[in-house]
Amino acid sequence: MDFLFSYIALAEIYVLLSLSTNLLVGIAGIFSVSQAAVFGVGAYIVAWFLMNNVLGFVPAFLIAAAGCVVLNILLTLPALRVSGDYFVVTSFGIQLLATAVFTNWTTGTGGANGLPGIPPPDLFGKALESTGQIVTLCSAAMVLSCVAFWLVMRAPFGRMLRAIREDELAVAAAGKNVLRAKVSAAALAGAFAGIAGGLYATFLSFVDPTSFDLDASILMLTMVVVGGARTLTGSIIGPFLLLALPQILTLIEIPTTIAAAARQLLYGVLLIAFMLFRPQGLAGEKL
Amino acid sequence: MNRLIRCAVAVLAICLTFGGVAQAETIRLGAILPLTGPGALIGTQQMRGIQFAIDQVNAKGGVNGNKIEVLFEDNQAKPDQSILSFNKLVDLQKVPMIFSAYSGPTLAMAPLATRKKVLLINAGAQADKLATASPYLINTLPTIGDEVSVISKYVVGEGKKRAAILFENDAAGIAGRDDYLKAFPAAGGTILAQEPTQFGQTDFRPALLKLADSKPDVMLVSITAGLQQMAQQYKQLGLKFMVAGTTFFQDPSVVADPAAQGFVHTQVRIDAPPALAAAFKQKYGVDMEFFVRQYYNATEIVVAVLDKLTAEKKPITGESMRDTLLAIRKFNGLIPLEFKSNTATVKLDINVMKDGKDVTIKQLSNE
Amino acid sequence: MLAVQLLVNGFVTGCALGVVAISFSLIYATTKIFHVAHAGIYTLAGYLAWTFVSHGVPDIAALLLAIALGALGGAAIQQFLYAPLERRKATHLVVLIASLGLLAVMQNIIAAVYSANILQFPVPWGSRMVAAGSIRLTWTQLLTAVLSLAAYAGTMWFAHRTILGKRIRAVASNPFLAEITRLQPQAVYIYVLAIASAIVCLPGVLVPLDLGLQPYGGITPLLTATIAMIAGGVGSISGAFALSVLIAELQNLSLLVIPGEWSIGITFFIFVIFMLFRPTGLFTKAR
Repeated sequence: MDFLFSYIALAEIYVLLSLSTNLLVGIAGIFSVSQAAVFGVGAYIVAWFLMNNVLGFVPAFLIAAAGCVVLNILLTLPALRVSGDYFVVTSFGIQLLATAVFTNWTTGTGGANGLPGIPPPDLFGKALESTGQIVTLCSAAMVLSCVAFWLVMRAPFGRMLRAIREDELAVAAAGKNVLRAKVSAAALAGAFAGIAGGLYATFLSFVDPTSFDLDASILMLTMVVVGGARTLTGSIIGPFLLLALPQILTLIEIPTTIAAAARQLLYGVLLIAFMLFRPQGLAGEKL
Repeated sequence: MNRLIRCAVAVLAICLTFGGVAQAETIRLGAILPLTGPGALIGTQQMRGIQFAIDQVNAKGGVNGNKIEVLFEDNQAKPDQSILSFNKLVDLQKVPMIFSAYSGPTLAMAPLATRKKVLLINAGAQADKLATASPYLINTLPTIGDEVSVISKYVVGEGKKRAAILFENDAAGIAGRDDYLKAFPAAGGTILAQEPTQFGQTDFRPALLKLADSKPDVMLVSITAGLQQMAQQYKQLGLKFMVAGTTFFQDPSVVADPAAQGFVHTQVRIDAPPALAAAFKQKYGVDMEFFVRQYYNATEIVVAVLDKLTAEKKPITGESMRDTLLAIRKFNGLIPLEFKSNTATVKLDINVMKDGKDVTIKQLSNE
Repeated sequence: MLAVQLLVNGFVTGCALGVVAISFSLIYATTKIFHVAHAGIYTLAGYLAWTFVSHGVPDIAALLLAIALGALGGAAIQQFLYAPLERRKATHLVVLIASLGLLAVMQNIIAAVYSANILQFPVPWGSRMVAAGSIRLTWTQLLTAVLSLAAYAGTMWFAHRTILGKRIRAVASNPFLAEITRLQPQAVYIYVLAIASAIVCLPGVLVPLDLGLQPYGGITPLLTATIAMIAGGVGSISGAFALSVLIAELQNLSLLVIPGEWSIGITFFIFVIFMLFRPTGLFTKAR
């Protein structure tokens, strides 16, 4: 059961990250490969507070979320000054800079060794130690976030974001504050990423820079695109499918010496096939 | 059609009867290693070490008639993938024991190992935290601190008191660097400078140049990959200071390379019959490098434990394996060692690379 | 003298990086595709050359063969992956993910065939030294610098003096008009991919000759080269080359003043700041 639970917990955390990436990239149109950096900051903040016994889980969690909101706003401000393609590389640069900080700032993040022994999350004084309890917590967080996402998309704010995606000039001409809408989307995306970080740190009880690197950002993007961009369903399907894929691939018998490389290869082939034959993902709108 | 079905059923029945009886239980073990991605360079060595040992055991009929199978999972050196793989191997495949590598993933799995009473065997990572991470974590190689203090004392004893440190900017390299910073001054020397390199990055020239600029007597090295490239660039730059390191140095291609002439290092004593190295080379086309040997040795230990358990007809669980391992205590495989705690004590020598061979010049132990 | 030696080494590294940058720039400026799989061609070239040399093929022939095969590979990627995607009107993000998938496929095929170990070129003349005063260089380093500069000069000549080069620049500056005036952009794209892939095979072979072959190491130089390309101004060959040398020098010389673990971080930090204030790059041509 633990295997199933750990898979579900991880998938749910990635759903939160997908919602975050979806908001930023799919809906607000800000191409970002630095979401893993924000995710990492959320995780490290919660880890630090819990390990040094400064705050309980819930307050640490909220601070992490708030911190990531601010961080995401700061990070996406350049996007608004720099046109699409250039921001891609800026975003790469931000992510790589973040990895450098995570790896080298030993006092804050434990450096390359990471932070082991993070206490489990506690709600109202009771620690959630079993995988089953953690899954319940993650599920609750996921459901709440999905509801929030859905409500936002149906609200006038969500409709404005969609309109901006269709025709930014028209929206601006209609007197709406495009900048504020995009920044708000980035803020919400930051919140989702921060929450995901807090859950991740307490679920694994260990964080290190390798979980928050460029590969992780690219995985998040892939989940959004394969699951389907700009839709709620897509953000849920994407993580569950992509996390299951490597496990499914292990069911295929391949000689040990090349098994791992062969599976990564298959994964790459699947990505290519998806992009060629179903670019809108499983449940998305055409990006 | 009826006749065909009856035939098929008969054949099936025969197979089931004789198949079931003739086969003893296959013992399934797990291994969670970085098999793709940048860590693959090390993970592949580790996998080969395990597989080679298992193949040899199975060729001789297994352990008291039981064949052993190792299920390899690729964690790409990431902690979250490790947790997934751990739970999969334990929940679905019910393995009692898992080979692990890299400090990060091992530390992430340690609490799970304690809770589920699964034996974790680490033969590659040397971070100090591993010594106390879990009662179910066994480290078959000493933490790097021991080797570092031995080589530091030796180097200072040779009159080289001013040192510069070259280290890999990751958990393994930094652990070594931190230990050098403590041990070398404790032995009477001074550290003049230190420079990091990225794991997998084989351009050592800037770091070597910067260290050379501080004019050290000796360079203390804490890297796990790219040693041969470093040796070559050291020679190309015409550097003359002594180069010292730990067992990581013992990479056959480095030993054979004239650029590494004069490199000194601690060496965990290894009893490797040349026939073994030759057989390995024949199968995989490369020499038995450092991590191959570590994991081959760890597998030998596991096989010895399983041998005792099956001979005494005891159940094979994480708990019984761990208790038996600690009870047997002394193992004389490829790398003779003793378990006075969760972490092995080994005999250390000081070796120097000379004319394509690694020559022992001093014998000690890491007490 | 430390600084001078670092300067010289940085120049060599920068030249190799520069060739990667100009080849990537050629592709990006013309096709607007973020061709990450370029790192795959770069890696493949080294392994192909190694295979040839290990089987007794003379060194120069091995290099030329690798370049030829690289060109073919690049053309094939355009023909069989990017062109179909373009026909289906795939967005930038979809193409990027397809390219990432292809990179994963290429890297893992190489890892499966050659294993993940660092391989050395069996070429004895490569590490012979050349000394000028207190500056020491290997033959390989010297060759890398010389050939890279030659490649730069060749590319400049090609772009400005040949018909095909001018055609490529025309397509790059205005694909719509190019289509109408029957410059056949699609055919041009194939030429561009072929030529750029051929060019990148040069450092693809020379750098591993110096530093050893690894399957997963191609993405870092590619990212740095991309930064050089953008900072130098997209479409400017000289800009890409010059910035590559500048970045390599920055990373080397920064060792004199800051601790080594931050040299990469500083590069990206400076880049991000740069993007905020001069996003169009240093050498952009008026568009």
